[in-house]
Amino acid sequence: MSQREPAAELGLLDATMIGMGAMIGAGIFVLTGLAAEISGPAAILVFVLNGVVTAFTGLCYAELAASIPKSGGGYAFVREIFDDLSSFVMGWMLWFAYMIAGALYALGFAPNFLEFLHVYGFVPAPGQVGAVTFGVLPVAIPAKVALAFAAVLLLVSVNAVSTAASGSIETIFTAIKVTILLVFVAFGFLSAGGGGETSFTFQNFDPLFPEGDGAFSILPAMGLTFIAFEGYDLITTVTEEVENPRENIPKAIFVSLAVTVLVYMLVVTVAIGTLGAPGLADAGEAGIAAAATSFMPPIPVIGNGGAIIVFGAIFSTITALNAVVIASSRVAFAMGREEQLPSRVGNIHHRYGTPFVAILASAVVMLLSVGLPTKSAGNMSSLFFLLSFVIVNGAVIKLRRERPNMNRPYKIPYYPVPPIMGILLNLVLTGVLVEYLLRTDPLALVLSVAWILLGVVFYFAYFRETGSAERGGQKTADTGPDSTTDAAGGND
Amino acid sequence: MTQKRIVIAGGGRVGRRAANLLDDRGHDVVVIEEDPEQVGLLEEEHVATIISGDATRPTILEQAGLARTDVLAALTQETGSNLAICMAARQLQPDLYTVMRTEYDVGDEYDEMVNDVVFTEGAGARAAVNLIERDVQTLDSVTGDLDILQIQVVEDAPVAGRTLEEITLPRGSLVVSGAAGDHVARPDTRLEVGKTYIVAVESDVAHEVVNLFQG
Repeated sequence: MSQREPAAELGLLDATMIGMGAMIGAGIFVLTGLAAEISGPAAILVFVLNGVVTAFTGLCYAELAASIPKSGGGYAFVREIFDDLSSFVMGWMLWFAYMIAGALYALGFAPNFLEFLHVYGFVPAPGQVGAVTFGVLPVAIPAKVALAFAAVLLLVSVNAVSTAASGSIETIFTAIKVTILLVFVAFGFLSAGGGGETSFTFQNFDPLFPEGDGAFSILPAMGLTFIAFEGYDLITTVTEEVENPRENIPKAIFVSLAVTVLVYMLVVTVAIGTLGAPGLADAGEAGIAAAATSFMPPIPVIGNGGAIIVFGAIFSTITALNAVVIASSRVAFAMGREEQLPSRVGNIHHRYGTPFVAILASAVVMLLSVGLPTKSAGNMSSLFFLLSFVIVNGAVIKLRRERPNMNRPYKIPYYPVPPIMGILLNLVLTGVLVEYLLRTDPLALVLSVAWILLGVVFYFAYFRETGSAERGGQKTADTGPDSTTDAAGGND
Repeated sequence: MTQKRIVIAGGGRVGRRAANLLDDRGHDVVVIEEDPEQVGLLEEEHVATIISGDATRPTILEQAGLARTDVLAALTQETGSNLAICMAARQLQPDLYTVMRTEYDVGDEYDEMVNDVVFTEGAGARAAVNLIERDVQTLDSVTGDLDILQIQVVEDAPVAGRTLEEITLPRGSLVVSGAAGDHVARPDTRLEVGKTYIVAVESDVAHEVVNLFQG
């Protein structure tokens, strides 16, 4: 019987970094190029406005997390007040949002990794890398998908057998990411006036909106990039490990959100100012990396200075992937503990101490979805986060109405404006995103609807089989010792 | 077994301690407490959702979410209030399992009305006697932060049917005795479904141990 270390306590810095770690990485490295493709230089507005929209939901998370000490993210709060079916659907959607986000980050990792190899001349430019062919298999898998698949497999395995990848190590990772981005921003601004083809200039922001579409073109881009702001949910999946949580959780939510929006603004400004929106759009998922390679000066030993940024992109996507592997398994684990998924999902492994079954279940969906186009993965993940957040905002209102005496260490200012704004704005983005998907990406929409239907079918099949969703069976069983007059007690 | 939802009426010294122990074991705890000072202390610990109000009032009681609650424990100082809380809760949610704290050793007087009665002063007195008469001590109060759990292995639990060699327990926990209680646990001791084991745990790893044994 060997022993292992119990999980450590997380401070305010750790909690903040967990939130930032999940947000910074995927959103900024992977989606900037795609956002520029949709909305041109107005991509900068896309990130700022998304920050505003998401702040309303952030306030709701702060109130809920300070009053309800449960790990499990938005699902745990919704479970507290909504009925069985609604909370199941919420958990089911949030779980999916994280799993698809995992696929998205893996798909963002792959082209950046190829770009990195390309910088050092190991492989041709990302666009020209062919498919990986396996001798025995008659099929050819694109290099990007194969790499993404391998990345998911690696991180799932690590998290399945060890709890070391979670917790405070995230702080170091996030600090590295932010530093690399600040290097990018600094050199980007320094390139201004250099006269080079990709020196920073504000001329790249004129016209701000792409011709023809006008200002409304930023709405679908906002829907797509919404996922770049889901970090506060991740903070609340670790509530129970945070020290002094009633103060630190709201603070961590606000600080991580504010810093993230600031970092995004700087990075997007530099990327558009140097490479220009069309160039950024061409580079797609490796947009930031491409911008960096264009203006970073040579650095001794490393060679091309852009390699640092490309490394940053690889590092960021892989750590963000790590964060969502953990987050998705925690949502599934919480649902298992609540008996909303088979209770085995809520068990920890007898040897590794990890939520093993929950991780494996999440891994299956993640591995299957790396076959999706990056954009579809981004759209679906954003869609499910938007829908989940609508319900979390609703939970704040429902709890205030039905449990007015619940103790709330943090109260939303100007209630009920923030949750109502949160619901309305999230619904607007959901509507825009669905309309955009109808036009451009029906596959993502079909898969999204299919996932929800699968959940509902599973719910009714599972609960009919197990008798009922209630825990009635346990109540009659002999829980607890029989009439233990003056039984166990401390020295009270 | 999955996590239980437990409502504790009365968040004074006894209620707060109970909430902490239950949270350590991974349960979902709600505490109802009226005194702002006590609410502040509970809030700092962040182990339970708190309803501020008088638990004898049904409008307060129902805010604890009784529909999904497994056990309600009325742990205020007054026997009368505790009885009223248990009866009101039963009225709102007939299949609720109720435990009430009493001021005196009441025997089986309340068996018709509540599921269990706990005489906490009795336990306290016993703990005091243990310290005064040091040669013979009851098990439950010889330890400081260490809990000695008597814990049953349920079906489908992560450790069910495995030997101690095959499993990994978190640091700060130790299986003391085998199923029959007649020998100290060895690496080849098998954790069998339905059997009970004595396990020593430090409070911060209690929830992991309970999950491993009870799923």
